[in-house]
Amino acid sequence: MDAAQALVELTELSSQVEAAVVLGADGSVLASTHEDPSKAAALASSALDLVAAASTLYTQPLELTRVEVELEDGAVFVLRDGGRTIAATTGPDPTSGLVVYDLRTCLHGITEPEPEKKRRTVRKAKGGDE
Amino acid sequence: MKKLVRLAVLVGLAIWAWRRYVGPPGPRERASVSYADGSSVVLEPGSAAFERLASVARTALCP
Repeated sequence: MDAAQALVELTELSSQVEAAVVLGADGSVLASTHEDPSKAAALASSALDLVAAASTLYTQPLELTRVEVELEDGAVFVLRDGGRTIAATTGPDPTSGLVVYDLRTCLHGITEPEPEKKRRTVRKAKGGDE
Repeated sequence: MKKLVRLAVLVGLAIWAWRRYVGPPGPRERASVSYADGSSVVLEPGSAAFERLASVARTALCP
């Protein structure tokens, strides 16, 4: 399924996720639960900022897989896997294990769109003599 | 058996009362970061790293 379908399933599955966005390897927004593109871009930007801030915690470069920040007003989750990133916001006191499981399931459910196969035209071999 | 049930109820009530009246006030704030090698780090409020992540997260939570 594509990223948009995966997010639809995520929001149906998880009552805790308020907004979510899926980013490609280059940081571009693949899909979002926000109808407003500016809000989707803002969440994507925050997710990338969180990843950048978390990457500076260690001096040696380590591949980051998850960042979660729980605050009074809500929580922000960022998961990375296979080049893709998913970021989501929830209300206060989320069941973080459950949210992470749902986000990971969503991320794993996204498949690359298959490239269009080249059609081979089959020509009938003309038999007989010409 | 009755004693056992009574004890379980009393323990449950004690835990509830502890959390309700003695436990830390207000919502719990924290941040955690996990890495591909399986390691993770939990950041508590007050640390510079937590504040940095929290300030970014607050912008994401703004409507």
